Amino acid sequence: MSVVSSATDLGAAVRPSSSHVEMLTVTNVGKRFGPVTALSGVSLAVRSGEVLALIGDNGAGKSTLVNIIAGLIKPDSGELLVAGKSLRGSGPRAAREAGIETVFQNLMLVPTLDIAQNVFLGRELFQGGPIGRFLRNVNNRGMRREVEAAFSSLGLNLPPVTTKAGSLSGGQRQAVAIARSVIWGSKIVIMDEPLAALGVKQTEAVLQLVDGLRAHGIATLLVTHNMQHVLRVSNRVAVLRLGRKVADIDLSDQELTGMQLVGLITGELQQHEL
Amino acid sequence: MYAEVAIDERVKSRNAEPVSRGNIYTLRRLGAAQGGGLVVALIGISIYFSFMSVAFLTRANFTVILLQSSILGIVAVPGAMLLVSGALDLSVGSLAGLAAASFGTFNQIFGIPLGWSIVLTLAVGATWGLGNGILVSYFRCSPVIVTLAGYSAAAGVAQLITNENTRYSFGPAFAVLGNGVEFGIPVPVIIFSFVFVVGAYAWYRTPIGRHLIGIGANRDAAMAAGVPVSRLPCIIYVLSGTAAAAGGLILTSQLNAASVQIGLGLELQVLTAILLGGVAFNGGRGSLWGTLAGILFIGVLNNGLTLINVGPYIASICIGGALLLAAVLDVVYRHLENVPAREPLIDTHVDTQEESGHDAPHAISVTAGSSRAWEGG
Repeated sequence: MSVVSSATDLGAAVRPSSSHVEMLTVTNVGKRFGPVTALSGVSLAVRSGEVLALIGDNGAGKSTLVNIIAGLIKPDSGELLVAGKSLRGSGPRAAREAGIETVFQNLMLVPTLDIAQNVFLGRELFQGGPIGRFLRNVNNRGMRREVEAAFSSLGLNLPPVTTKAGSLSGGQRQAVAIARSVIWGSKIVIMDEPLAALGVKQTEAVLQLVDGLRAHGIATLLVTHNMQHVLRVSNRVAVLRLGRKVADIDLSDQELTGMQLVGLITGELQQHEL
Repeated sequence: MYAEVAIDERVKSRNAEPVSRGNIYTLRRLGAAQGGGLVVALIGISIYFSFMSVAFLTRANFTVILLQSSILGIVAVPGAMLLVSGALDLSVGSLAGLAAASFGTFNQIFGIPLGWSIVLTLAVGATWGLGNGILVSYFRCSPVIVTLAGYSAAAGVAQLITNENTRYSFGPAFAVLGNGVEFGIPVPVIIFSFVFVVGAYAWYRTPIGRHLIGIGANRDAAMAAGVPVSRLPCIIYVLSGTAAAAGGLILTSQLNAASVQIGLGLELQVLTAILLGGVAFNGGRGSLWGTLAGILFIGVLNNGLTLINVGPYIASICIGGALLLAAVLDVVYRHLENVPAREPLIDTHVDTQEESGHDAPHAISVTAGSSRAWEGG
């Protein structure tokens, strides 16, 4: 039985109309680390209800780009727009407040805090009323209830939300990190290698979650090394090589094979040769 | 509960797993109540002492224990917050001495009125704490080295400004701070209670507690989540310095003498109480209730052993033994944390061979529960 039993059905109900808005727009982003140019002049856009796969070899600049979008790294040049507006402020908090949720390669959960605390870390809910807010009195029950509701809406079968994140398996952590983005009503979800080191069944479950995100109308940027996963879930694929974007292909217009994608990554193929 | 709802065939089939698992979960629940074992020990020695000495189980003696624990307690509250966030403050003992020296100088040499002398003395502690905090939190210097430097330097500054002359006699108004009794409770105990209640509220009822734990357990994750990973510990350092100065003032009041020696060894007593209470030395795990148990454990042990006429050496040996036990339990807790959760998403154990070819399997832990792999990733 799959973990995701209803994500896609549920998503179908809220599937946005065909008006796919450009949720995330990255324009001409460049970043140097000392003598190394990690990114130069990279532009890409992710629309709502779309999964854009970002692929490239090690050192192509994928993680740098992800960190820039997540607000962890300041780009040297270029601009980031969320739903056409530039971000207010900088840093991870500003990115989150703008609706960008990032599922990091190493998942970024605090092992000694429980699932609900992790989901709401840095954005805790407070008790109602001016006093609760003024005293910053946390509403633990409310947070637990919201996490439980989100898990069931995603069809996730996870341990109780009071379970410490450190005792979750890789797939469970992945699910928590992804559920976090849904709970926050994020407009954009960035996933950096969410499928690394997951088993076949867990991978399938996470891929179904990605489908669920698309159905929720969320713009998803999926970084992966696995061409099969790219072809399985994404609408579009962007290829980075040595810090530059070398291809951006709409998969609904063009049938691609895994070998062709590998060719684009290594530079043996150019987009116009396809 | 969600847990019960989630039970389905898969969970039932998992019941075929070794029965001994159940004991691990019970143990982990005990571990979750960190300092739980210490509370049991505290009750145990209290029962022992009440049988051995008629004087032990009296209101007067209880007040004495609290009075003797209050300075340690005032400093241990911010101390526990620092330790759980992965930092620590070794300068508190010297800062207490510096506070005494500063207060004597402000009040008797500069002739500053009592109230302002107290405020200025607390400000000296806060300022030193701010220096510690900026160096540790913003410049990312080692907390051990920075506060060890403070341990040495603050003591030196105290000697320098007093010129090794101890000031005496600050008058009856100041004596209230250390020796006064209000509503039948000694003033230092009232101050400690206030500090603890505010600290416990911050720890358990506001996001501060979980933020500190987050910073201690996985600083990158806390930062990515928007936790103020530099500002928060820096503020706690300021509070730690202020608390150390307050402790120094109370001791000065009790002795009616501003000796630079008063804080001697305070930093290690504080650290002992916090570690006994189950706060992990590397941060990321711990509780303030456990710290309170640690403070009271030391207080009761010292008091009880004195009452039954066993010298202070035995108390030191007992505290050392308890600390060793805490070190062993710390390892046990760490292992228990890595025991997988009950209902897995799908499969708890995953074979890496299943994963089709790519080269980054090291980033995420493959087997459930081994948190090391992904923390390091």
